[in-house]
Amino acid sequence: MNAIASNLVAASTSHIDPDIVISARDLVKAFNSEVVALDRASFDIKRGSFVSLVGPSGCGKSTLLRLVAGLIGKSAGELSVLGHGVSGPSHEVGMMFQRPTLLEWRTAVENVLLPTEVQGATTDADRKRAIDLLQLVGLKDFEFSFPRQLSGGMQQRVALARLLQTGANILLLDEPFGALDEFTRERLNLELLRIVDDVDATVLFVTHNISEAIFLADQVMVMTPRPGRLAKVVDVPFERPREISLMQTPEFNRLVGEVRTILGGH
Amino acid sequence: MSLATDGNLSMTDVAQARGSLAGRVARHLALFLGVMLVWEFASTYEFVDPLILPRPTAIAASLVNMVLYQGTVWFHLGVTLWEAVAGFVIGSVIGIGLAVAAGLNDSFRRYISPYIIALQVTPRIALAPIVIAWLGFGMMPKIAIGALICFFPPFINTLTGLLNVDEDANEMFRSLGAKKRQIFFSLMLPNAMPIIMAGLKTAISLALIGAIVGEFISASEGMGVLMQRYTFALNMASSFAVLVILTVMGYALFVLMEWADNWLVYWRHDARMTAMSRKKAKAWAGLLGRRQA
Repeated sequence: MNAIASNLVAASTSHIDPDIVISARDLVKAFNSEVVALDRASFDIKRGSFVSLVGPSGCGKSTLLRLVAGLIGKSAGELSVLGHGVSGPSHEVGMMFQRPTLLEWRTAVENVLLPTEVQGATTDADRKRAIDLLQLVGLKDFEFSFPRQLSGGMQQRVALARLLQTGANILLLDEPFGALDEFTRERLNLELLRIVDDVDATVLFVTHNISEAIFLADQVMVMTPRPGRLAKVVDVPFERPREISLMQTPEFNRLVGEVRTILGGH
Repeated sequence: MSLATDGNLSMTDVAQARGSLAGRVARHLALFLGVMLVWEFASTYEFVDPLILPRPTAIAASLVNMVLYQGTVWFHLGVTLWEAVAGFVIGSVIGIGLAVAAGLNDSFRRYISPYIIALQVTPRIALAPIVIAWLGFGMMPKIAIGALICFFPPFINTLTGLLNVDEDANEMFRSLGAKKRQIFFSLMLPNAMPIIMAGLKTAISLALIGAIVGEFISASEGMGVLMQRYTFALNMASSFAVLVILTVMGYALFVLMEWADNWLVYWRHDARMTAMSRKKAKAWAGLLGRRQA
Protein backbone atom coordinates (compact mmCIF):
# COMPACT_ATOMS: atom_id res chain seq x y z
CA MET A 1 0.00 0.00 0.00
CA ASN A 2 1.23 3.44 -0.84
CA ALA A 3 2.01 5.29 2.36
CA ILE A 4 0.65 8.50 0.99
CA ALA A 5 -2.34 9.02 -1.22
CA SER A 6 -2.84 12.35 -2.90
CA ASN A 7 -6.18 13.82 -3.74
CA LEU A 8 -5.63 12.65 -7.32
CA VAL A 9 -5.23 9.06 -6.23
CA ALA A 10 -8.34 8.50 -4.16
CA ALA A 11 -7.48 7.80 -0.54
CA SER A 12 -8.47 4.24 0.27
CA THR A 13 -7.26 3.89 3.86
CA SER A 14 -10.41 4.22 5.90
CA HIS A 15 -9.28 2.00 8.77
CA ILE A 16 -6.87 3.36 11.39
CA ASP A 17 -3.31 2.28 10.70
CA PRO A 18 -0.99 2.65 13.74
CA ASP A 19 1.86 3.36 11.35
CA ILE A 20 0.20 6.52 10.06
CA VAL A 21 1.15 9.56 12.17
CA ILE A 22 -0.39 12.34 10.11
CA SER A 23 -3.56 11.88 8.14
CA ALA A 24 -5.57 14.40 6.13
CA ARG A 25 -8.82 14.02 4.19
CA ASP A 26 -10.06 16.84 1.93
CA LEU A 27 -8.27 19.32 4.15
CA VAL A 28 -9.16 22.92 3.25
CA LYS A 29 -7.84 26.22 4.55
CA ALA A 30 -9.43 29.40 3.24
CA PHE A 31 -8.48 32.79 4.69
CA ASN A 32 -11.60 34.34 3.17
CA SER A 33 -13.98 33.52 0.34
CA GLU A 34 -11.40 34.54 -2.27
CA VAL A 35 -8.12 33.22 -0.88
CA VAL A 36 -8.08 29.44 -0.71
CA ALA A 37 -4.61 28.67 0.65
CA LEU A 38 -5.08 24.93 0.61
CA ASP A 39 -7.70 23.12 -1.43
CA ARG A 40 -8.86 19.60 -0.49
CA ALA A 41 -5.58 17.90 0.36
CA SER A 42 -5.63 14.23 1.32
CA PHE A 43 -2.57 12.31 2.40
CA ASP A 44 -1.14 9.92 4.98
CA ILE A 45 2.32 10.15 6.44
CA LYS A 46 4.00 7.08 7.81
CA ARG A 47 5.89 6.93 11.08
CA GLY A 48 9.59 7.62 10.67
CA SER A 49 9.35 8.87 7.11
CA PHE A 50 10.92 12.03 5.75
CA VAL A 51 8.47 13.90 3.55
CA SER A 52 9.32 16.98 1.54
CA LEU A 53 6.73 19.54 0.49
CA VAL A 54 7.86 21.33 -2.63
CA GLY A 55 6.22 24.01 -4.71
CA PRO A 56 6.34 27.70 -5.62
CA SER A 57 5.25 30.52 -3.30
CA GLY A 58 1.54 30.47 -2.60
CA CYS A 59 1.10 26.73 -3.12
CA GLY A 60 -0.03 26.28 0.48
CA LYS A 61 2.96 24.36 1.79
CA SER A 62 3.53 26.65 4.77
CA THR A 63 -0.21 26.70 5.40
CA LEU A 64 -0.25 22.90 5.45
CA LEU A 65 2.63 22.90 7.94
CA ARG A 66 0.91 25.40 10.24
CA LEU A 67 -2.29 23.36 10.13
CA VAL A 68 -0.40 20.26 11.26
CA ALA A 69 1.36 22.32 13.95
CA GLY A 70 -2.01 23.50 15.26
CA LEU A 71 -1.02 27.14 14.81
CA ILE A 72 -3.98 27.81 12.54
CA GLY A 73 -7.35 26.09 12.31
CA LYS A 74 -8.66 24.27 9.26
CA SER A 75 -11.68 25.49 7.30
CA ALA A 76 -12.99 22.07 6.30
CA GLY A 77 -12.00 18.43 6.00
CA GLU A 78 -10.20 16.21 8.44
CA LEU A 79 -6.72 16.33 9.91
CA SER A 80 -5.39 14.04 12.57
CA VAL A 81 -2.01 13.64 14.19
CA LEU A 82 -1.30 10.36 16.00
CA GLY A 83 -4.96 9.46 15.63
CA HIS A 84 -6.33 12.63 17.27
CA GLY A 85 -7.91 15.60 15.55
CA VAL A 86 -5.66 18.69 15.66
CA SER A 87 -7.08 21.39 17.93
CA GLY A 88 -3.95 23.35 18.86
CA PRO A 89 -0.20 23.06 19.37
CA SER A 90 0.87 19.71 20.77
CA HIS A 91 4.00 18.47 22.52
CA GLU A 92 4.21 15.68 19.94
CA VAL A 93 4.82 18.22 17.19
CA GLY A 94 7.78 20.58 16.97
CA MET A 95 8.33 23.32 14.44
CA MET A 96 11.34 25.12 13.02
CA PHE A 97 11.24 28.24 10.89
CA GLN A 98 13.22 29.78 8.06
CA ARG A 99 14.63 32.30 10.50
CA PRO A 100 16.30 31.01 13.65
CA THR A 101 13.89 32.97 15.95
CA LEU A 102 16.41 32.79 18.78
CA LEU A 103 16.04 35.02 21.83
CA GLU A 104 19.03 37.35 21.61
CA TRP A 105 19.19 37.84 25.40
CA ARG A 106 19.73 34.12 25.98
CA THR A 107 22.85 32.07 25.42
CA ALA A 108 22.72 29.17 22.96
CA VAL A 109 22.06 26.62 25.70
CA GLU A 110 19.40 28.82 27.33
CA ASN A 111 17.70 29.09 23.95
CA VAL A 112 17.75 25.31 23.61
CA LEU A 113 16.18 25.03 27.08
CA LEU A 114 13.23 27.25 26.18
CA PRO A 115 10.85 24.38 25.31
CA THR A 116 11.59 22.73 28.67
CA GLU A 117 11.00 25.99 30.54
CA VAL A 118 7.70 26.56 28.78
CA GLN A 119 6.56 23.09 29.81
CA GLY A 120 7.57 23.45 33.46
CA ALA A 121 10.56 23.33 35.79
CA THR A 122 14.00 22.71 34.34
CA THR A 123 16.07 19.89 35.88
CA ASP A 124 19.79 19.17 35.63
CA ALA A 125 18.91 16.28 33.31
CA ASP A 126 17.25 18.78 30.95
CA ARG A 127 20.33 20.98 31.08
CA LYS A 128 22.61 18.08 30.27
CA ARG A 129 20.37 17.07 27.41
CA ALA A 130 20.53 20.63 26.03
CA ILE A 131 24.33 20.54 26.17
CA ASP A 132 24.32 17.12 24.44
CA LEU A 133 21.99 18.38 21.72
CA LEU A 134 24.24 21.36 21.04
CA GLN A 135 27.07 18.90 20.63
CA LEU A 136 24.92 16.80 18.31
CA VAL A 137 24.32 19.79 16.02
CA GLY A 138 28.03 20.62 16.05
CA LEU A 139 28.06 23.52 18.50
CA LYS A 140 30.29 22.17 21.23
CA ASP A 141 32.19 25.12 22.79
CA PHE A 142 29.47 27.57 21.74
CA GLU A 143 26.96 26.71 24.49
CA PHE A 144 27.37 30.07 26.20
CA SER A 145 27.59 32.28 23.12
CA PHE A 146 24.78 34.72 22.48
CA PRO A 147 22.98 34.59 19.10
CA ARG A 148 24.65 37.80 17.96
CA GLN A 149 28.02 36.09 18.42
CA LEU A 150 27.03 33.24 16.08
CA SER A 151 26.85 33.05 12.28
CA GLY A 152 23.53 32.48 10.50
CA GLY A 153 24.27 28.79 10.03
CA MET A 154 25.20 28.36 13.67
CA GLN A 155 22.04 30.15 14.75
CA GLN A 156 19.98 27.67 12.73
CA ARG A 157 21.88 24.84 14.40
CA VAL A 158 20.81 26.23 17.78
CA ALA A 159 17.22 26.38 16.49
CA LEU A 160 17.51 22.74 15.43
CA ALA A 161 18.82 21.74 18.87
CA ARG A 162 15.90 23.64 20.42
CA LEU A 163 13.50 21.73 18.18
CA LEU A 164 15.01 18.42 19.31
CA GLN A 165 14.83 19.53 22.96
CA THR A 166 11.03 19.61 22.65
CA GLY A 167 11.17 15.82 22.52
CA ALA A 168 8.61 15.93 19.71
CA ASN A 169 8.62 12.98 17.32
CA ILE A 170 7.00 14.88 14.50
CA LEU A 171 9.24 17.63 13.19
CA LEU A 172 7.89 20.35 10.92
CA LEU A 173 10.61 22.30 9.15
CA ASP A 174 9.60 25.38 7.19
CA GLU A 175 12.48 26.08 4.77
CA PRO A 176 14.85 25.79 7.74
CA PHE A 177 18.02 26.52 5.81
CA GLY A 178 16.47 28.64 3.06
CA ALA A 179 18.15 31.85 4.18
CA LEU A 180 21.65 30.34 4.24
CA ASP A 181 24.23 30.13 1.48
CA GLU A 182 24.28 27.03 -0.71
CA PHE A 183 27.36 25.41 0.88
CA THR A 184 26.11 25.83 4.43
CA ARG A 185 22.68 24.61 3.40
CA GLU A 186 24.04 21.47 1.80
CA ARG A 187 26.15 20.65 4.84
CA LEU A 188 23.27 21.28 7.24
CA ASN A 189 20.95 19.13 5.13
CA LEU A 190 23.36 16.21 5.42
CA GLU A 191 23.62 16.71 9.16
CA LEU A 192 19.86 16.99 9.42
CA LEU A 193 19.51 13.57 7.77
CA ARG A 194 22.01 12.08 10.21
CA ILE A 195 20.27 13.66 13.20
CA VAL A 196 16.67 12.75 12.35
CA ASP A 197 17.88 9.22 11.71
CA ASP A 198 19.40 9.29 15.21
CA VAL A 199 16.26 10.50 16.95
CA ASP A 200 13.91 8.42 14.79
CA ALA A 201 11.54 11.25 13.93
CA THR A 202 8.88 11.79 11.31
CA VAL A 203 9.76 14.88 9.31
CA LEU A 204 7.73 17.26 7.14
CA PHE A 205 10.19 19.49 5.31
CA VAL A 206 9.05 22.51 3.30
CA THR A 207 11.28 23.82 0.52
CA HIS A 208 11.06 25.43 -2.87
CA ASN A 209 14.22 23.69 -4.04
CA ILE A 210 13.36 20.55 -6.02
CA SER A 211 16.78 18.87 -5.73
CA GLU A 212 16.86 19.46 -2.00
CA ALA A 213 13.33 18.09 -1.64
CA ILE A 214 14.23 14.87 -3.44
CA PHE A 215 17.65 14.44 -1.90
CA LEU A 216 16.27 14.50 1.65
CA ALA A 217 12.98 12.69 1.36
CA ASP A 218 11.29 9.32 1.16
CA GLN A 219 8.32 11.01 -0.46
CA VAL A 220 7.96 14.36 -2.14
CA MET A 221 4.58 16.07 -1.96
CA VAL A 222 4.44 18.31 -5.02
CA MET A 223 2.17 21.32 -4.57
CA THR A 224 0.84 23.85 -7.06
CA PRO A 225 -0.49 27.37 -6.39
CA ARG A 226 -3.76 29.32 -6.75
CA PRO A 227 -5.44 27.57 -5.14
CA GLY A 228 -2.86 25.60 -3.17
CA ARG A 229 -3.23 21.98 -4.16
CA LEU A 230 -1.42 18.76 -3.52
CA ALA A 231 -0.74 17.77 -7.14
CA LYS A 232 1.13 14.52 -6.69
CA VAL A 233 3.15 12.46 -4.26
CA VAL A 234 6.40 11.19 -5.73
CA ASP A 235 8.21 8.27 -4.10
CA VAL A 236 11.95 8.59 -3.77
CA PRO A 237 13.54 5.12 -3.99
CA PHE A 238 17.16 5.94 -3.11
CA GLU A 239 18.77 4.09 -0.24
CA ARG A 240 20.10 5.69 2.91
CA PRO A 241 22.51 7.01 3.97
CA ARG A 242 22.78 9.26 0.95
CA GLU A 243 25.80 11.09 -0.35
CA ILE A 244 25.89 14.42 -2.18
CA SER A 245 27.13 12.58 -5.26
CA LEU A 246 23.63 11.08 -5.55
CA MET A 247 22.56 14.39 -7.05
CA GLN A 248 24.67 13.73 -10.13
CA THR A 249 23.13 10.37 -11.01
CA PRO A 250 20.73 10.03 -13.98
CA GLU A 251 18.04 8.47 -11.72
CA PHE A 252 18.13 11.52 -9.48
CA ASN A 253 17.89 13.89 -12.42
CA ARG A 254 15.03 11.88 -13.87
CA LEU A 255 13.09 12.42 -10.62
CA VAL A 256 13.94 16.13 -10.66
CA GLY A 257 12.57 16.26 -14.23
CA GLU A 258 9.42 14.45 -13.17
CA VAL A 259 8.72 16.90 -10.34
CA ARG A 260 9.52 19.83 -12.60
CA THR A 261 7.01 18.55 -15.16
CA ILE A 262 4.28 18.29 -12.53
CA LEU A 263 5.01 21.84 -11.37
CA GLY A 264 5.27 23.15 -14.94
CA GLY A 265 1.92 21.68 -15.96
CA HIS A 266 0.10 24.04 -13.60
CA MET B 1 36.95 29.76 20.52
CA SER B 2 36.96 32.05 17.53
CA LEU B 3 34.56 34.60 18.92
CA ALA B 4 37.00 37.45 18.46
CA THR B 5 35.84 38.12 14.91
CA ASP B 6 32.19 38.31 15.86
CA GLY B 7 31.58 41.81 17.07
CA ASN B 8 34.26 41.89 19.74
CA LEU B 9 37.04 44.42 19.56
CA SER B 10 40.37 42.83 18.83
CA MET B 11 43.43 43.96 20.77
CA THR B 12 44.74 46.05 17.88
CA ASP B 13 41.47 47.99 17.67
CA VAL B 14 41.68 48.76 21.37
CA ALA B 15 45.30 49.90 21.04
CA GLN B 16 44.43 52.20 18.15
CA ALA B 17 41.52 53.69 20.03
CA ARG B 18 43.82 54.38 23.00
CA GLY B 19 46.48 55.92 20.80
CA SER B 20 44.10 58.45 19.36
CA LEU B 21 42.30 59.07 22.67
CA ALA B 22 45.01 61.36 24.10
CA GLY B 23 45.04 63.34 20.87
CA ARG B 24 41.26 63.65 20.82
CA VAL B 25 41.14 64.85 24.43
CA ALA B 26 43.90 67.40 23.72
CA ARG B 27 42.01 68.80 20.72
CA HIS B 28 38.73 69.08 22.63
CA LEU B 29 40.48 70.74 25.57
CA ALA B 30 42.26 73.21 23.28
CA LEU B 31 38.98 74.22 21.62
CA PHE B 32 37.22 74.60 24.97
CA LEU B 33 40.01 76.70 26.47
CA GLY B 34 40.15 78.83 23.32
CA VAL B 35 36.44 79.64 23.55
CA MET B 36 36.77 80.40 27.28
CA LEU B 37 39.71 82.69 26.60
CA VAL B 38 37.82 84.68 23.95
CA TRP B 39 34.82 84.89 26.28
CA GLU B 40 37.04 86.04 29.16
CA PHE B 41 38.53 88.84 27.06
CA ALA B 42 35.19 89.86 25.55
CA SER B 43 33.73 90.20 29.01
CA THR B 44 36.77 91.82 30.67
CA TYR B 45 37.08 94.53 28.01
CA GLU B 46 33.28 94.91 27.89
CA PHE B 47 32.73 93.96 24.26
CA VAL B 48 29.70 92.33 25.88
CA ASP B 49 28.12 93.62 29.03
CA PRO B 50 29.38 91.46 31.95
CA LEU B 51 25.85 91.73 33.32
CA ILE B 52 24.73 89.69 30.34
CA LEU B 53 27.72 87.41 30.04
CA PRO B 54 29.91 87.32 33.15
CA ARG B 55 33.56 86.30 32.87
CA PRO B 56 34.22 82.53 33.00
CA THR B 57 36.63 83.12 35.88
CA ALA B 58 33.88 84.96 37.77
CA ILE B 59 31.51 82.04 37.17
CA ALA B 60 34.19 79.62 38.36
CA ALA B 61 34.77 81.72 41.48
CA SER B 62 31.03 81.75 42.27
CA LEU B 63 30.91 78.03 41.70
CA VAL B 64 33.78 77.36 44.10
CA ASN B 65 32.28 79.72 46.65
CA MET B 66 28.86 78.09 46.37
CA VAL B 67 30.05 74.53 46.52
CA LEU B 68 32.90 74.83 49.04
CA TYR B 69 32.06 77.74 51.38
CA GLN B 70 28.36 78.64 51.30
CA GLY B 71 27.10 75.08 51.42
CA THR B 72 23.37 75.92 51.11
CA VAL B 73 23.50 74.83 47.47
CA TRP B 74 23.64 71.19 48.56
CA PHE B 75 20.28 71.51 50.24
CA HIS B 76 18.70 73.05 47.13
CA LEU B 77 20.38 70.48 44.91
CA GLY B 78 19.01 67.70 47.11
CA VAL B 79 15.47 69.12 46.84
CA THR B 80 15.59 69.37 43.05
CA LEU B 81 17.21 65.96 42.66
CA TRP B 82 14.58 64.37 44.88
CA GLU B 83 11.75 66.05 42.94
CA ALA B 84 13.24 65.00 39.59
CA VAL B 85 13.92 61.40 40.59
CA ALA B 86 10.53 60.97 42.28
CA GLY B 87 8.79 62.51 39.25
CA PHE B 88 10.77 60.22 36.97
CA VAL B 89 9.94 57.09 38.95
CA ILE B 90 6.22 57.91 39.22
CA GLY B 91 5.94 59.00 35.57
CA SER B 92 7.81 55.92 34.35
CA VAL B 93 5.82 53.48 36.47
CA ILE B 94 2.55 54.99 35.23
CA GLY B 95 3.80 55.15 31.63
CA ILE B 96 5.11 51.59 31.55
CA GLY B 97 2.12 50.28 33.49
CA LEU B 98 -0.39 51.84 31.08
CA ALA B 99 1.65 50.61 28.11
CA VAL B 100 1.70 47.03 29.43
CA ALA B 101 -2.07 47.12 29.93
CA ALA B 102 -2.55 48.65 26.49
CA GLY B 103 -0.14 46.17 24.92
CA LEU B 104 -1.93 43.16 26.36
CA ASN B 105 -5.49 44.35 25.83
CA ASP B 106 -6.60 45.68 22.45
CA SER B 107 -9.83 47.28 23.62
CA PHE B 108 -8.11 49.02 26.53
CA ARG B 109 -5.60 50.40 24.01
CA ARG B 110 -8.41 51.73 21.79
CA TYR B 111 -10.15 53.40 24.75
CA ILE B 112 -7.14 55.19 26.19
CA SER B 113 -5.34 56.18 22.99
CA PRO B 114 -7.38 59.37 22.28
CA TYR B 115 -6.62 60.65 25.80
CA ILE B 116 -2.96 59.74 25.55
CA ILE B 117 -2.72 61.58 22.23
CA ALA B 118 -4.58 64.61 23.67
CA LEU B 119 -2.17 64.67 26.58
CA GLN B 120 0.81 64.35 24.27
CA VAL B 121 -0.19 67.22 21.95
CA THR B 122 -1.00 69.48 24.92
CA PRO B 123 2.09 71.44 25.99
CA ARG B 124 1.96 69.75 29.38
CA ILE B 125 4.15 72.36 31.01
CA ALA B 126 1.08 74.63 30.68
CA LEU B 127 -0.59 72.40 33.26
CA ALA B 128 2.03 73.39 35.84
CA PRO B 129 0.10 76.33 37.39
CA ILE B 130 -3.02 74.16 37.63
CA VAL B 131 -1.07 71.37 39.32
CA ILE B 132 0.36 73.87 41.80
CA ALA B 133 -3.13 75.20 42.48
CA TRP B 134 -4.19 71.62 43.24
CA LEU B 135 -1.25 70.44 45.28
CA GLY B 136 0.05 73.57 46.99
CA PHE B 137 3.60 74.81 47.34
CA GLY B 138 5.71 71.91 48.59
CA MET B 139 7.62 69.30 46.67
CA MET B 140 4.49 67.35 45.66
CA PRO B 141 3.41 69.62 42.78
CA LYS B 142 6.98 69.60 41.34
CA ILE B 143 7.05 65.83 41.46
CA ALA B 144 3.62 65.72 39.82
CA ILE B 145 4.70 68.12 37.06
CA GLY B 146 7.84 66.06 36.44
CA ALA B 147 5.80 62.85 36.29
CA LEU B 148 3.27 64.46 33.97
CA ILE B 149 5.76 65.65 31.39
CA CYS B 150 8.06 62.60 31.57
CA PHE B 151 5.54 59.75 31.40
CA PHE B 152 5.03 59.84 27.65
CA PRO B 153 8.37 58.49 26.32
CA PRO B 154 8.30 55.41 28.61
CA PHE B 155 4.66 54.87 27.67
CA ILE B 156 4.99 55.07 23.90
CA ASN B 157 8.33 53.24 23.82
CA THR B 158 7.07 50.39 25.97
CA LEU B 159 3.93 50.05 23.87
CA THR B 160 5.93 50.08 20.64
CA GLY B 161 8.38 47.54 22.01
CA LEU B 162 5.66 45.19 23.24
CA LEU B 163 3.71 45.31 19.98
CA ASN B 164 6.80 45.03 17.80
CA VAL B 165 7.42 41.33 18.39
CA ASP B 166 8.73 39.15 15.61
CA GLU B 167 5.76 37.14 14.28
CA ASP B 168 7.90 34.02 13.76
CA ALA B 169 9.16 34.15 17.34
CA ASN B 170 5.57 34.47 18.51
CA GLU B 171 4.56 31.43 16.44
CA MET B 172 7.56 29.55 17.80
CA PHE B 173 6.36 30.20 21.36
CA ARG B 174 2.82 29.16 20.45
CA SER B 175 4.08 25.98 18.80
CA LEU B 176 5.75 25.14 22.13
CA GLY B 177 2.36 25.50 23.79
CA ALA B 178 3.39 28.66 25.68
CA LYS B 179 0.74 30.50 27.69
CA LYS B 180 0.09 34.21 27.24
CA ARG B 181 1.89 34.98 30.49
CA GLN B 182 4.96 33.05 29.34
CA ILE B 183 5.00 34.82 25.98
CA PHE B 184 4.80 38.16 27.81
CA PHE B 185 7.63 37.55 30.26
CA SER B 186 9.94 35.44 28.08
CA LEU B 187 9.45 37.17 24.74
CA MET B 188 7.57 40.47 24.67
CA LEU B 189 9.12 42.13 27.73
CA PRO B 190 12.82 41.31 27.10
CA ASN B 191 12.27 42.11 23.43
CA ALA B 192 11.01 45.57 24.42
CA MET B 193 13.78 46.24 26.96
CA PRO B 194 16.16 48.17 24.68
CA ILE B 195 13.47 50.59 23.52
CA ILE B 196 12.01 50.92 27.04
CA MET B 197 15.45 51.96 28.29
CA ALA B 198 15.70 54.54 25.49
CA GLY B 199 12.36 55.97 26.68
CA LEU B 200 13.57 56.10 30.29
CA LYS B 201 16.71 58.00 29.25
CA THR B 202 14.56 60.70 27.67
CA ALA B 203 12.19 60.68 30.66
CA ILE B 204 14.82 61.47 33.27
CA SER B 205 15.81 64.71 31.51
CA LEU B 206 12.16 65.66 31.16
CA ALA B 207 11.52 65.04 34.87
CA LEU B 208 14.38 67.41 35.73
CA ILE B 209 12.87 70.07 33.48
CA GLY B 210 9.49 69.55 35.16
CA ALA B 211 10.95 69.97 38.64
CA ILE B 212 12.76 73.20 37.75
CA VAL B 213 9.81 74.76 35.93
CA GLY B 214 7.68 73.91 38.97
CA GLU B 215 10.20 75.70 41.17
CA PHE B 216 10.16 78.73 38.88
CA ILE B 217 6.42 79.06 39.24
CA SER B 218 6.25 78.85 43.00
CA ALA B 219 8.68 77.45 45.50
CA SER B 220 10.88 78.38 48.41
CA GLU B 221 13.59 75.80 47.82
CA GLY B 222 15.37 74.06 44.97
CA MET B 223 17.80 74.95 42.22
CA GLY B 224 15.10 76.79 40.26
CA VAL B 225 14.54 79.10 43.24
CA LEU B 226 18.28 79.67 43.59
CA MET B 227 18.50 80.49 39.90
CA GLN B 228 15.68 83.03 40.10
CA ARG B 229 17.03 84.60 43.27
CA TYR B 230 20.48 85.22 41.72
CA THR B 231 19.07 86.42 38.40
CA PHE B 232 16.70 88.90 40.08
CA ALA B 233 19.68 90.21 42.08
CA LEU B 234 21.61 90.52 38.79
CA ASN B 235 24.25 88.22 40.26
CA MET B 236 24.81 86.68 36.84
CA ALA B 237 28.01 84.84 37.75
CA SER B 238 26.13 82.88 40.42
CA SER B 239 23.21 82.23 38.05
CA PHE B 240 25.63 80.69 35.59
CA ALA B 241 27.24 78.71 38.39
CA VAL B 242 23.81 77.25 39.25
CA LEU B 243 23.41 76.37 35.57
CA VAL B 244 26.75 74.56 35.60
CA ILE B 245 25.67 72.54 38.64
CA LEU B 246 22.38 71.65 36.93
CA THR B 247 24.31 70.54 33.83
CA VAL B 248 26.53 68.32 35.95
CA MET B 249 23.47 66.90 37.70
CA GLY B 250 21.69 66.25 34.39
CA TYR B 251 24.80 64.57 33.07
CA ALA B 252 25.15 62.42 36.18
CA LEU B 253 21.56 61.23 35.79
CA PHE B 254 22.16 60.51 32.12
CA VAL B 255 25.30 58.49 32.92
CA LEU B 256 23.36 56.57 35.55
CA MET B 257 20.75 55.66 32.94
CA GLU B 258 23.44 54.65 30.45
CA TRP B 259 24.92 52.42 33.11
CA ALA B 260 21.51 50.87 33.85
CA ASP B 261 21.03 50.28 30.12
CA ASN B 262 24.41 48.62 29.88
CA TRP B 263 23.56 46.43 32.83
CA LEU B 264 19.98 45.48 31.88
CA VAL B 265 20.27 45.26 28.10
CA TYR B 266 23.58 43.39 28.19
CA TRP B 267 22.95 41.67 24.86
CA ARG B 268 23.20 44.93 22.96
CA HIS B 269 26.62 45.87 24.38
CA ASP B 270 29.51 43.76 23.11
CA ALA B 271 31.73 43.98 26.16
CA ARG B 272 28.89 43.22 28.58
CA MET B 273 27.68 40.38 26.36
CA THR B 274 31.11 38.77 26.40
CA ALA B 275 31.27 39.16 30.18
CA MET B 276 27.80 37.61 30.57
CA SER B 277 28.82 34.75 28.32
CA ARG B 278 31.79 34.04 30.57
CA LYS B 279 29.66 34.35 33.70
CA LYS B 280 27.11 31.85 32.39
CA ALA B 281 29.85 29.42 31.39
CA LYS B 282 31.15 29.62 34.96
CA ALA B 283 27.70 29.06 36.43
CA TRP B 284 27.33 25.91 34.33
CA ALA B 285 30.84 24.63 34.99
CA GLY B 286 29.74 22.52 37.98
CA LEU B 287 27.11 20.71 35.98
CA LEU B 288 29.43 20.07 33.06
CA GLY B 289 32.30 19.07 35.36
CA ARG B 290 30.21 16.45 37.15
CA ARG B 291 29.22 15.10 33.81
CA GLN B 292 32.75 14.62 32.63
CA ALA B 293 33.86 12.99 35.89
